[in-house]
Amino acid sequence: MKSESKRFQEIWVVDFEFYGNPGDRPTPVCLVAHELLTGRTLRIWQDEFLKLQSPPYSIGPDSLFIAYYSSAEFSCHLVLGWPLPTNILDLFTEFRNLTNGLKLTCGNGLIGALAYFGVDSIGALKKEVMRDLILSGGPWSNDERKAILDYCQSDVNALVLLFEKMVSKLNLKRALLRGQYMAAAAKIEYHGIPIDMKLFNRLQENWERIKIQLIQKLDADYGVFEDGHFRLSLFEKYLIANNIPWPILETGTLKTDDDTFKEMAQVHPKLRQLRDLRSILSQLKLSKLSIGKDGRNRCLLSAFQTRTGRNAPSNSKFIFGTAAWLRSLIKSEPGIGLAYIDWSQQEFGIAAKLSEDLHMQEAYRSGDPYLAFGKQAGPIPPNATKQSHHKERDRFKACVLGVNYGMGEKALADRIQQSVLEARDLLKKHKDTYKRFWRWSNGALDYAMFYGKLWTVFGWTIMVNENPNPRMLRNFLIQANGAEMLRLACILVLNEGVDICAPVHDAILIEAPLDELDDKISIAQDAMKRASEIVLSGFGLNTDVEKIKYPDRFSDRRGEETWNTILDILAKNL
Amino acid sequence: MSEEKVLNIERKLTGDLFDNLDQLKLGQNFSEAISVKKQITTIPIRKPGRQDFIRVHPDESYRLETAILELKEERENYLVSPDLWSELAGEVVPKMLYTAINRQGVLVLWPVRLADETGRLDAWNLSAHKAAQIAMEKWIRVASNRSLGAYETFTPRGALPEPEWPDISFQEILRIAFGDYQITSIDHSVLRRLRGEL
Repeated sequence: MKSESKRFQEIWVVDFEFYGNPGDRPTPVCLVAHELLTGRTLRIWQDEFLKLQSPPYSIGPDSLFIAYYSSAEFSCHLVLGWPLPTNILDLFTEFRNLTNGLKLTCGNGLIGALAYFGVDSIGALKKEVMRDLILSGGPWSNDERKAILDYCQSDVNALVLLFEKMVSKLNLKRALLRGQYMAAAAKIEYHGIPIDMKLFNRLQENWERIKIQLIQKLDADYGVFEDGHFRLSLFEKYLIANNIPWPILETGTLKTDDDTFKEMAQVHPKLRQLRDLRSILSQLKLSKLSIGKDGRNRCLLSAFQTRTGRNAPSNSKFIFGTAAWLRSLIKSEPGIGLAYIDWSQQEFGIAAKLSEDLHMQEAYRSGDPYLAFGKQAGPIPPNATKQSHHKERDRFKACVLGVNYGMGEKALADRIQQSVLEARDLLKKHKDTYKRFWRWSNGALDYAMFYGKLWTVFGWTIMVNENPNPRMLRNFLIQANGAEMLRLACILVLNEGVDICAPVHDAILIEAPLDELDDKISIAQDAMKRASEIVLSGFGLNTDVEKIKYPDRFSDRRGEETWNTILDILAKNL
Repeated sequence: MSEEKVLNIERKLTGDLFDNLDQLKLGQNFSEAISVKKQITTIPIRKPGRQDFIRVHPDESYRLETAILELKEERENYLVSPDLWSELAGEVVPKMLYTAINRQGVLVLWPVRLADETGRLDAWNLSAHKAAQIAMEKWIRVASNRSLGAYETFTPRGALPEPEWPDISFQEILRIAFGDYQITSIDHSVLRRLRGEL
């Protein structure tokens, strides 16, 4: 222990119990904190810690804070006005990193992690009962308080056991970096996304009527809806009348999943509107959007939940997970502005630098890698512009984006609406132009298949399971290093005092008073560039900004038409 | 908890973390770490496909004037040892074996008939040799034209990158291409069959 105390003077294992409605900030109920070096345990009920200005445990640079999915603990800190710890070891992120890609029979919750290491823990049933008791929101009797504190302490005890099992497998420095992102995630969740509640409530109140009128308006060209429902028999008639071949299931019935509609709408553009209508009707779950009493969309970001380490917030609860048109509900308060800042062609830039393909880097630096690829490959003349050769550029763009996702020649042919030969030729041009990239990509796949794992610059690792997916493995390094970049950017941007509403794949949405907005954008852009330079060893990626000043609202180009149609219906008829 | 395990945790301050993130970084050069080399196990002996763009290896050491015994029905080519050529004068055909590669990186041995002892060569083979000469410098596609009675050579308009020749010797190419299809003795089963002994 003497040696340990020279390193961290205090090591605290902490767990909070809390409750709260979806979208609201949590209400902490109690906490249990156990100090590993002295064996001291704190059990504190809410009435006691509400009086505290700072945590009853040390969170300074000489201390280590250990928790499981710590952004929940940090949300409680923020609600209580407590600062966040300097050194964070989140055993959830580290368990995910140790087992990413493997099949886990008991999942990746605390019980699942303990089971993975062969440790018995509190039964799932008991956990369920206690959670219900906590979520009831009280008031609790003295016995119930004791039971809740005991339950909270049992999780802390379990965490201590888990820490013992995991400690020898950790790279602490990289784990602490991931821990910093859990603090950032908590701050982002705490801040939330501003929603136009007046309009949201109107939409919600009138949704059934809007749906009927949407069908009347958009189905007029197809005639495949009846009594508000999509009818397969009518759709069959439509396909026959329009001579459109359609994929079928093994049972012989037409495939009607959204992926099929998406694919077929690319081949037959007149089906696009029908696909949109079906998508709107199925995806619109306004009531499931997680919005707090303060009118802000707020949900668990589910950091590190995907194989690439990206966030995986619920599609129905998180406004950026819903249909694109619904995002127009994002609107700040008077005097406040928003800015959506994303890296320009982030994936292309990452691929260019990590593979050290100089042609690809040159294409990225040109500012328009798709046009540059066409010029490098030959078909587009050197003096061409986006305007003069937009059709050719679109084809090269589809090829670049397709390569990122391991798209084959058939899928690319469908995407560019050209023959398979044309698609094959495009892919060949990519392989010829970016030879070094392909050598690197093939090498990464070979490495993964031979050694069973790949990792990012900061050590986020994927293990190859018994059913390896070569496309996913090829894509992993680009996506997962992109995730590293976003996490690092969020930490840096927040450290600079800029409020982040949400991270979105390769972008962040920030919010600031209008008179500070330009400065905050500039700070955020600098931080994002710095993050890219750190991940890509000096190869900085540029960012694009879309500024939204009150009373304007956020808008996603893909959803604009639908949004306007719905607003039109709302204004004229309801 | 055991002291031994705790010792593995070292103190690291967050300030230090962000001061030098480079120290945490791991290499991403997986292709160099594994260094996989393609093993060539099959090399067809045939003329290039009519759709294939090909290049011929310009190095003289990658071609061979030799004699081939061709079993047309079986579509089999046998490499015949020089000491048997005179004995098999009526059976073997003098051919040049060119090493060619297509855009997909597939190696082939392209056999083209050589002039007979009188120095005559038909237009088909003459045009094939000319095509092979061009292919030493440019990508070409060769296609037969019956009404012309010769091969036509096509070159692409656009610039194509130079071929990536695999790191393999011509001796190795011959060994892979012919494998067991080599005749080194007068008692070879193919010759015995031709003599009616089998």
